[in-house]
Amino acid sequence: MSSRILIVEDTEDNMRIARDLLSSAGYELLEAMDGAAAVTMAALHRPDLILMDIQLPVVDGYEATRRIKANAELRAIPIIAITSYALSGDDVKARAAGCDAYIAKPYSPRMLLAEIRKILNRSDPL
Amino acid sequence: MKSLLVRLVSRVPARVETKLLASFLTIVVLLIVLGAVGLRVLSGVNQRTVELVKLQRKIAAYRQVQHDTTNQLYSVTSALLLADQRSLDAALRRVSQFGYDLERLQFVAKDEVELLGQVRQEYDRFVDVARRVVELIRGGNVAEAREVHLAQAAPLADRLERLTNQLVNRAEASMVAGIDASEQAYVVSQLTVIAFAIGSIVLALALGYAISWSLIGPVAEIDARLRQVAAGDFTGRVRVANRDELGALAANVNRTCEELARLYQQLEAASRHKSEFLANTSHELRTPLNAILGYAELIEDNIYGEVPDKIREVLNRIQSNGRHLLGLINDVLDLSKIEAGQLSLSIADYSMKEVVQTVVTATGALADEKNLAFSTMISEDLPVGEGDERRITQVLLNLVGNAIKFTEAGGIAVRALAENGAFEVAVSDTGPGIPPEEHQRIFEEFRQLDSSSTRTKGGTGLGLAISKKIVELHGGRIWVDSDPGSGATFHFTLPVRMEVMEDAV
Repeated sequence: MSSRILIVEDTEDNMRIARDLLSSAGYELLEAMDGAAAVTMAALHRPDLILMDIQLPVVDGYEATRRIKANAELRAIPIIAITSYALSGDDVKARAAGCDAYIAKPYSPRMLLAEIRKILNRSDPL
Repeated sequence: MKSLLVRLVSRVPARVETKLLASFLTIVVLLIVLGAVGLRVLSGVNQRTVELVKLQRKIAAYRQVQHDTTNQLYSVTSALLLADQRSLDAALRRVSQFGYDLERLQFVAKDEVELLGQVRQEYDRFVDVARRVVELIRGGNVAEAREVHLAQAAPLADRLERLTNQLVNRAEASMVAGIDASEQAYVVSQLTVIAFAIGSIVLALALGYAISWSLIGPVAEIDARLRQVAAGDFTGRVRVANRDELGALAANVNRTCEELARLYQQLEAASRHKSEFLANTSHELRTPLNAILGYAELIEDNIYGEVPDKIREVLNRIQSNGRHLLGLINDVLDLSKIEAGQLSLSIADYSMKEVVQTVVTATGALADEKNLAFSTMISEDLPVGEGDERRITQVLLNLVGNAIKFTEAGGIAVRALAENGAFEVAVSDTGPGIPPEEHQRIFEEFRQLDSSSTRTKGGTGLGLAISKKIVELHGGRIWVDSDPGSGATFHFTLPVRMEVMEDAV
């Protein structure tokens, strides 16, 4: 059974790149366009991993991460933050919010895939 | 009290020139008055001297009269004894000589008129008696003459002597009084001149003090204000009470400061806006570029189907140009963040060895492409460092990238060691080298050795400026050793632990 990944991303192109990359790698995908939707989707579908963009409308990635990590049932889901190069100290903030890993934009899809595999292999008892 | 005088002079609504002229004139007037007082004192002394001389002459004249009286008596007496023609003539001559002396005496002394009148009367009588005595002798009546002489001439002569004695005494007394008065007058004049001189000196000093401090005070205040401005503090005002050129100068300084403060604020705002604009713009530029590079990589990885070789080649060019553009945008963004003071370091433990290896791995292919030898020398016992690993990697990547970019033959060497609590990293190349006058300038923004190299070698010319800022933010130092024609070695130092450096600074 393939792992389920929740992609939280508000820009069309980034979403499509992640979608094309991960679906071709055989993952099952869930998509959310903002932080509030991400929290709802996470609670509803219990994904194996969340790819969280930090700059999101309404509820940003930090806040969404904090809310998910505050939920005892969802706490185990690894979250990879996608931080923006433009804002300094994002990596520190991402870790503070509870992210398990972070990747800075611009990311190479190849490297993102490698990171996702690493984390899923680590957390997945399979 | 003194400051009151200074303030008073400051507030006089006159030009500095006028004030100075007025004070000099005052001093000159004081000098003239002092001179006049001195002259008056001198003329007083002179007058008294003249009077004393007169008194002296009078005394001499009185003495002469006294002397004459004695002579008279003597000549008449000897005429009586000898009773010859010659003695008689001499006696008569003496009598008229006495008369002449008396005339002179009258001219000299006007204040003892009464006494002199008596002298004259006594004298007239005496002359009459003397003439009678002489006539009696000539007539042969020597015995009668002797009688007349004893009975009349001798007592008259005694009285005359007494009177003239009185005259002499009186004149001598007034002479003593005159000398006393002169001495007193001298003391008074001395005191007057000294008092006047001291008064003038005090007044001149006070005037000089007030004038100079009314000038020095504002100058010192303006100087202090300008120092503050030079140090970048535009707030505050010069407070100068003067209504002269210095007051105008102070007002001008205040106006200039206000204008400078206004311009400085505008400049700061403009600079901030520029940095914000650059940060925003580069962020906006990067978003679509990221998508382009992302899609290109997906295509390259055959996610959308097998890619023909011909398209793959073009795809590589799209990717390399895209990465170059991204590098340029990142440089501009970095620099604008540094200039806006927004670049903060993410301090964490790192391994310098890993940093060097990361850079070597990332650039090895480039060196191979140009057939450059690439050697690394890393000390075995490098301690764990503390700093922003990503930024330090960026610095080393920039230096090694530059070395490869500018070297056409030979090789690159990277050395890393730790000494005295600091890492020292050196990147050497066998490129064209850098002339000494450029050693500082290449670390400034938008500087490349040869502006044509921007075209041929690529790059924004921002890499070294950014590297310098990053190294300095860590508390380290970056510099270059090079001679044209014999390659270049870029060095940078970083404190191993951040707080160690802070202590040392």
